[in-house]
Amino acid sequence: MAPAGRDLSERSLGFLLLAPAAVLLALIVVYPIGTLFWTSLHGVDNANPAAGEQWVGLKNYFTAFQDDRFWSSTLHTIAYIVVTVPLSLVVGLGLAMLANFPFRVQWPVRLGLLLPWALPLVFAGLIFRWFFEYRTGVVNDSLMRLGFEPLQWLSDPTLAFIAICITIVWKSSSFMALMLLAGLQTIPRSLYEAAEVDGASKWQQFVEITLPMLRPAIFVALIFRTITAIQTFDIPFAMTGGGPGDSTETLAMYIHKTTLDFLDFGYGSALAALMFVLSMAATSGYLKYTRRSSGRSGD
Amino acid sequence: MPFNLSRRATVWFAGLIVAANGFFPAVWILLTSLKTETELIRSPITFLPDAPTLENYVIAFTAQPILRFMWNSFVVASLSTILCVFVSALAAYALTRLRIPRRNLIMSLLLAVAMFPLISLMVPLFKVMRELGLLNTYLALILPYAVLSMPVCTLVMASFFQDIPPDLEAAAMVDGCSRVGALWKVVVPLSAPGVFTAAILAFVNAWDEFLLALTMMNRVNMRTLSVGITLYQGEFAFPWPLISAALIIAIVPICILIAVFQERVVGGLTSGGVKG
Repeated sequence: MAPAGRDLSERSLGFLLLAPAAVLLALIVVYPIGTLFWTSLHGVDNANPAAGEQWVGLKNYFTAFQDDRFWSSTLHTIAYIVVTVPLSLVVGLGLAMLANFPFRVQWPVRLGLLLPWALPLVFAGLIFRWFFEYRTGVVNDSLMRLGFEPLQWLSDPTLAFIAICITIVWKSSSFMALMLLAGLQTIPRSLYEAAEVDGASKWQQFVEITLPMLRPAIFVALIFRTITAIQTFDIPFAMTGGGPGDSTETLAMYIHKTTLDFLDFGYGSALAALMFVLSMAATSGYLKYTRRSSGRSGD
Repeated sequence: MPFNLSRRATVWFAGLIVAANGFFPAVWILLTSLKTETELIRSPITFLPDAPTLENYVIAFTAQPILRFMWNSFVVASLSTILCVFVSALAAYALTRLRIPRRNLIMSLLLAVAMFPLISLMVPLFKVMRELGLLNTYLALILPYAVLSMPVCTLVMASFFQDIPPDLEAAAMVDGCSRVGALWKVVVPLSAPGVFTAAILAFVNAWDEFLLALTMMNRVNMRTLSVGITLYQGEFAFPWPLISAALIIAIVPICILIAVFQERVVGGLTSGGVKG
């Protein structure tokens, strides 16, 4: 009798405590996403703009599929993902291994990892824009000191892409390193000691112990990184503004321009809805993985 | 002995690389901010400023209302943090200490929100805020920021709540506390480090956000710091010493915050990520 009564009150209290979060989510996420899809089915007729937003069905989506700029900005976004996600994993893993040495003074290393994380993306973009400046930037200066010709970093499409990728990798690798470092510190030392006794080289220890033990942390870090890479906006915005031409423009930047500069909400919403679907696919993969892994640990 | 020496050198070298990688950009703009425009265009470039000057900082304070930007960022970040931590604390408590059905599903849904592309949310949120007449008000950023940090804050606090022995709560309730009373008087004080960690993460997230800040606030005196700094660039010219000075002013508060609470921040970031 008593447990049942307690159960019920516990349940209603639970939902009461979850209510504020649910209300906020409904207001800021669920309702707007709903209107996003609704708006994407509307558009302003250019021949008759006074009529306001009219129902156009799936027209905006068909337009998107025939829009070269949609495809090129999507391709750029995918290129950023394909290049920067593996690179920041490798750099992040390197930083994590270096940061895992037994330092007597911890703070310079810890702050060295935290600072790039805490810096706003747009500031990182501005700072690296300054680094890649043609005449006075530190990158070209170093190239010239080493006897190379200075490069037109931000006005050549390929070089601008490379410069943006370098900035993204610098900005995101330290967060990766922090997550991987936490994973490294959970690996028992005894495993390495046993391997040492068996005569395993450092490289063998890395491949046979470190990498397999880090696998969950690497997976989580990769998914987080991919999901943020899909939304790449701030760094190219600050470094090139999408230029030269539209050569470094990402899908997020194109959506922003369509909605706020061209004020085409219908089309912008259709693009945003497509992006939403794209990243939800990535998220569901992540959720599937976490559910599987939490099942494995027996919780 | 030689082995010992080389081992110590390796450790030093490893630390140096990590620290240099993290600090170099900040150090470089600090040096730039002390240079004059004429020194800057010299070739080859100088590393240390020839004649250090604070002039750029004076201009940074007068050319744009940077203190106003900072105040806006501070108001938005702290109010959204308070809202976020309060709401997340209640949710985390319900999810960890109360028996509710479909607990895992609720947790997963919350996590899914963290993965939403902000840009997809930006378009309809802009419309909603415009219809509500909230553009260029703090509320237009406070509400979304609170929601965006909710998943990570809930996770961080949930992992702290889990470690508190249930007996303590039971004891408080025997002493006449209600369950919610027990939450505030027993659970929250005991998990203060977790609450605090969550608060720092939410604050930094809000302080750094750019896209929504750019979208929701188009009046100069409502701009937050991350957007305001981009106003220092001319249409064609980039006055780098001035921009560097403004950047230094803008990153000092956040640097102090992470320097003082570094261990907590690292713990929070990794518990949100690894345990998630």
